[in-house]
Amino acid sequence: MSIKDNILRFFFPALTWKLLARVSLIALFSYLFFGYFCIPLHIEGISMEPNYHDGSFNFCWRLRYLFSTPQRHDVVAVRFAGDRVMLLKRVVAFEGEQVEFREGKLLLNGRELNEPYVRNPCDWDLSPRIVRKDSIYVIGDNRNMPIENHVFGNAPIRRIVGVPLW
Amino acid sequence: MKLKYVILAGLAVAIGIVAAVTLLQSEDKRVKKQFRLLSDWALKDKEENLLATARRAQNIGALFAEKVEFNTHLAPFSGTLTPEEISGYAARSRSLFSTFDLKFYDFRIQFPERGTAEVNLTARAKGKMLNGELLNETHEVECRLTKVENRWLFSRFEVVEVLKK
Repeated sequence: MSIKDNILRFFFPALTWKLLARVSLIALFSYLFFGYFCIPLHIEGISMEPNYHDGSFNFCWRLRYLFSTPQRHDVVAVRFAGDRVMLLKRVVAFEGEQVEFREGKLLLNGRELNEPYVRNPCDWDLSPRIVRKDSIYVIGDNRNMPIENHVFGNAPIRRIVGVPLW
Repeated sequence: MKLKYVILAGLAVAIGIVAAVTLLQSEDKRVKKQFRLLSDWALKDKEENLLATARRAQNIGALFAEKVEFNTHLAPFSGTLTPEEISGYAARSRSLFSTFDLKFYDFRIQFPERGTAEVNLTARAKGKMLNGELLNETHEVECRLTKVENRWLFSRFEVVEVLKK
């Protein structure tokens, strides 16, 4: 069989039951994998700059917390009504911990939290507050904006969908 | 003989289930259509003349019930409004933007009682104001629609606070 025949057979294979079964299996796997376990993400907005850029692409890995819970400094996807639109935020505190901003520094139980991922200094002030039951406290990495323009706070654990793949 | 009746009863139940599912689906579609209309009328993607702006605002108002309850932490929207007030507010708000786009995602529709639909969804508003400022707001919203003269009309909006500071 010539190379040309091989190429033609590769791109236009004979329509057999075996081929149809293979294509159906791949389609089903892709639908389940990318629809439920590894959801494609198009990142919009600057709240996670400079670590996640506006307009970049990623995947949300939903099985990350199947057998574990979010850890401090993890980046998580927080859902709204469903998983079509989500928030990408950084976990900074857990249930019962006290969170506070003083002159741009994030204080956890009164002590400054080391946040190497924050590159843009800010002058935020936020009175001390305790993280609610069954919640984690999430904030974006980019704090180079007025505090009232930044969406952050207590996120119920049940709203954590997964993590970005990279 | 008995088998015949069992088969007939089974068929009747199956037809009933199919009918109920079909009817509910069509109600689902009708409810979703109202959101699509709201999205269509709210859209602003080019310069509009005053007449078009007024018509769009009037069409937005026509999607709402006589009294609409807004329960949100977004200041200008709270309280009870009439369709006329909503039309006026829509006209004023849209005039502040050069482009505006309102989209709805992740619908969860329930019918707690006849003539009432409760919808949980994600609403996303994007736009560019005349002064160049960009708007990009996303909220989870609980909506109630009431069926009036065979039309689903918006009667309540409540914004769910996803992250509480």
